[in-house]
Amino acid sequence: MSTNPSELKQPDAWIKTKESDLYINPLPVRIWHWLNALGFVVLILTGTHIRYADMFNVMSFETAIKTHNWVAFAVIANYFVWLVFYLFSDRITVYHPELNMRKFFDKAFKQMMYYGYGIFRGAKSPHEVLPLDKFNPMQSITYQIVMLLVVPIQFISGLMMWDIKRFEVPIAMVGGLDAVVTVHVLIYIFFVAFTPIHAYMGSLGHTPATHFREMFTGYEEEH
Amino acid sequence: MVRSTSGGQRIVLPVLTVFIVCCMFFSGVLYALPEDEVSATGAAATDITSAGATVTVQGTEPVDGEDTAIDVKLRLEETLKKNKKCLMCHNREKTKLLEDGTEMTLQVPRDAYLGSAHGEVECVSCHSAIGNRKHPSKSTNITITRERDYSIEMNDSCRNCHREKFTQYKGSVHSALVAQGSDKAPLCSGCHNPHAPVSMVDYQAETGLPCKNCHESIYNAYSASVHGQARINGNTIRDSHIQAPICSDCHHSHEVTALAIGDVLRTTCIACHENVTLLHNQWLPNTGTHLDIVSCAVCHAPFAQRKFDLHLYDNIAGVPLAMQEGDAPIQEQLQAIAAEGGIGDPLEIWKARGGFGQGGQPADISLRSRMEVMSGVAAHQIASKSFAVRTCESCHEPGWRQKQNVTVSITQPDGRRQSFEADREALSSVNAINSISDFYALGGKPSKFLDILLLLSLVAGFAVPIGHFTLGKMIKEYMARGEK
Repeated sequence: MSTNPSELKQPDAWIKTKESDLYINPLPVRIWHWLNALGFVVLILTGTHIRYADMFNVMSFETAIKTHNWVAFAVIANYFVWLVFYLFSDRITVYHPELNMRKFFDKAFKQMMYYGYGIFRGAKSPHEVLPLDKFNPMQSITYQIVMLLVVPIQFISGLMMWDIKRFEVPIAMVGGLDAVVTVHVLIYIFFVAFTPIHAYMGSLGHTPATHFREMFTGYEEEH
Repeated sequence: MVRSTSGGQRIVLPVLTVFIVCCMFFSGVLYALPEDEVSATGAAATDITSAGATVTVQGTEPVDGEDTAIDVKLRLEETLKKNKKCLMCHNREKTKLLEDGTEMTLQVPRDAYLGSAHGEVECVSCHSAIGNRKHPSKSTNITITRERDYSIEMNDSCRNCHREKFTQYKGSVHSALVAQGSDKAPLCSGCHNPHAPVSMVDYQAETGLPCKNCHESIYNAYSASVHGQARINGNTIRDSHIQAPICSDCHHSHEVTALAIGDVLRTTCIACHENVTLLHNQWLPNTGTHLDIVSCAVCHAPFAQRKFDLHLYDNIAGVPLAMQEGDAPIQEQLQAIAAEGGIGDPLEIWKARGGFGQGGQPADISLRSRMEVMSGVAAHQIASKSFAVRTCESCHEPGWRQKQNVTVSITQPDGRRQSFEADREALSSVNAINSISDFYALGGKPSKFLDILLLLSLVAGFAVPIGHFTLGKMIKEYMARGEK
């Protein structure tokens, strides 16, 4: 198992980078991320259309449902790109939580201070982005909860609603269709806030384009 | 010892043999001849003319267990002889004054009777009370209070010959209504004139009889429907299609059932439209659930008024709550709830009153929901497939629930559904939503809490970035000014 960052710095042939650039996001992660982003936006929009059918006239209810279902299956399949990649890659370390509570809170506090104050004064982020440690403690904990708990729950609740009859027994086991629907809607509400905030925070890198470039090319330019 | 025979004996034996052979030959020829030739010989077929009625009996080949033409002839002759006496008087217009002041006809049109399936049945087979004693007269009058009472009394006589059909009838909603004292529910004679019975195989959609006698408005809806029109206009829906249904095809002719119970209706439709699940599956998300909770007519009777029907469901038995004989508390409770001017949250009121279940025992009861059409008439207004509702928005839109008629229903002992109008506004209440938690229609479920939460989330999603960005800009400007 290789843990040497330099080995991970091999540039993709089609991207021109400086030797000093860090290879942060390998191709599977980038593919997963952007497909997921597109899928989430479509799911949020069609989901809103389904829930508030009388307020929108963009498409028919039937089209909204069918689009929602197909895109949802694509997003579920895409989730496994992310899961399999990280399960079989050294880069799973990016999600390793900081188990030392004192260290975690210390780092998290510093990060919050940075976003709340330091960033405005041009301070440097307390967390240095590295291929095997790209997330700050807040990102790490948030993304773990999102990817391992929230997203799977959303997938499962969505699957149950996709074919109520087929999943009759599990639906009854988790408290009925009403409970399943409420959970699905609550998570949708969470993502309605999460998505724009996530996009905005993507602009809080060294330059507003840093993280976006990083997510397109895989490399973080030296700064 | 050798016995010697005389000359006379020697002649008798060959003559006897020739005679027997000849007899066998002629009987064989007669047996093998076609019917009309037999008729011409006057040997078997007979025109029986008696009291003006003509019944032609055709000779048939005798088959094991079947009567020969001669048997039939003999029996008919016997029957007619016996009936002759009755029909001599009863062929005439004749009435009897009943206790309730009405008159009951005693006339039995002879031609119609003899030409019917009962033509060979003796009058006294059914009217055994008269056959067993002296015919009623002014001095030995039989008292009949009402014609209906007499019909009910006579109804059991049908069982003697039509045991199977009679048993089916006894399990029907019609029989249950008769048992409850209904004066309108049909007895056997309500559909089959006992003195000129016609097989319902001869039923014609054009007339709608005998069902139309009582269910005229429903029949009219049926006759204008895709089923009725197909039946009237050539009996086919598509070129290679089976016959379009008449009343008895769905409701049965003797074990007549109210179809609006549980799964019965859907099963009946699927009996002919067997690929219905497959066809709906091609476009309708959650087909199974839709077919479970939406009555076929809701979409296929596009102009029918719809309702949101909540039925009481016995969670322990796992079936819709059905009243049993003697379940007075259920009936009384629902009537009392209805008398209060609409049902707010039926389940809550039900529970508050003790929540009686089967046999008047407290029970674990919930409400389950179905989309139904408002009336039996609407349920028969089935239109052609091209007119069926296929716009999901018809049901799936916020506020849809509030626009629906709402009823609470329970299955009565006779199998019919009794519905009570409920307060549609109450469906938005938290209690009602909890009560009908098994029912969820996408887009149709109001939840102000979740709506507000979504709004807050949306505001936060944009306010946080805008606020953070603005704050940063302001701080930078402030600092820049300070540096100057």
